[in-house]
Amino acid sequence: MTLPFKNSVAWRALLLSTSIAFGACSSLQNDENLYVALGGEKAIAVIVENFILEIARDERIIDHFEVSNVQRFRVMMNQHLCLVADGPCEYTGDSMIDTHAGMGVTEGDFNAIVENMMAAMDKAEVPLGPQNRLLARLATFRGEIIYR
Amino acid sequence: MNTLACQLLLPLLACSVLCSTSANAQPDGRLRGTGGVSSISGAGGGGLTPWATLTSYATRDARGGSVFASHVSVDDHTLDVAGAAINLHDRIELSYARQKIRTKASDATISQDSTGLKLRLAGDVLYGRAPQVVLGVEHNALRDPAAALAAGARATKGTDLYVSAARAWIAGPAARTTLLNVSVRHSRANQFGLLGYGGDDQGGKVHLEAAVAMFLSRGWAVGAEYRQKPDNLSAQTENDAFDVFVSWFPDKRLSLTGAWVMLGDVAGAPDQSGFYLSLQGTF
Repeated sequence: MTLPFKNSVAWRALLLSTSIAFGACSSLQNDENLYVALGGEKAIAVIVENFILEIARDERIIDHFEVSNVQRFRVMMNQHLCLVADGPCEYTGDSMIDTHAGMGVTEGDFNAIVENMMAAMDKAEVPLGPQNRLLARLATFRGEIIYR
Repeated sequence: MNTLACQLLLPLLACSVLCSTSANAQPDGRLRGTGGVSSISGAGGGGLTPWATLTSYATRDARGGSVFASHVSVDDHTLDVAGAAINLHDRIELSYARQKIRTKASDATISQDSTGLKLRLAGDVLYGRAPQVVLGVEHNALRDPAAALAAGARATKGTDLYVSAARAWIAGPAARTTLLNVSVRHSRANQFGLLGYGGDDQGGKVHLEAAVAMFLSRGWAVGAEYRQKPDNLSAQTENDAFDVFVSWFPDKRLSLTGAWVMLGDVAGAPDQSGFYLSLQGTF
């Protein structure tokens, strides 16, 4: 797959801007393990592929996140969503605040990414409940991402 | 009041041009539904009451606005409202609405202008632990003061002050995005001001409003509202207002709300309830 992206730093930033979890916070009510509810490793892989495609064609943010190392983004994103969802994974990427320094991710950029994640999960046929539980966890990192 | 209306509507028109032509302003920068709908006073809400949400989808980096028309039909009265609001950087909301109540039996009408200012003091409705808190002012002026004065109202103009707080949980009950809004209002208005302000049986001036909304999907929300109201006129009883609603947000341009409203006694007519429809366009 070819994407109009130029550097891997920005890919990492994009990854991190969608959320990074070093301590995923607990879900509000549903006790079922979120990783299982999302559909496990296979479903997360589908979500990540969809997510990459959504971002690639989103004119609102594509300039902002010019990057090229799609493969690294793919691997990091899979690890990351797995960890946030309490799955059996380790995240090997960089810290979020450092990565976003100087990026100037706006509120609108952040919400655009959230919309891309919603679309990615819709297309992966993830039910609304697990979608919201994942989004709620990812949302807790917003303060570390925007206007850095 | 016409001058004030122009002062509000002109920037609105200007914004509709500016907002749509600026490249990076992202007037749609917030998530679908987070701008709420338009209340009967023109301020972002809520239908029967404004909420702490600011109209449109503008973020701190943009401006936006909304226009709307609403129709309420209860047993003995109808209410038609049209208006607009602008959102400046998700910090300040300016609103205007023209309301016209009609008594079905006599075809008598009363019109009122409502202008509003809402200032977001802190928080974000969707993100973070703290609620979004706003301070709001609504100034209402009757265009047809006779009925209010005949009913015993002390004034034909009035200003309400309110503080409102809203908090949404992305994964709320049943993992559905759920919003709770609570407001405290200082008001002497009789029937939203349509029967003037104050009276010979002046009651409490501080009132509570509450609303809950749940998104069953990304585009459909259901909920309920409660608005405590004054009861200042000895000649007429006034009751608190309730509604249950369904709102549809097909995209960030449009919303359609249907509700069942229960207003209690209105202008001598007992137990008024009926439907509410509101169409809103957002830019």
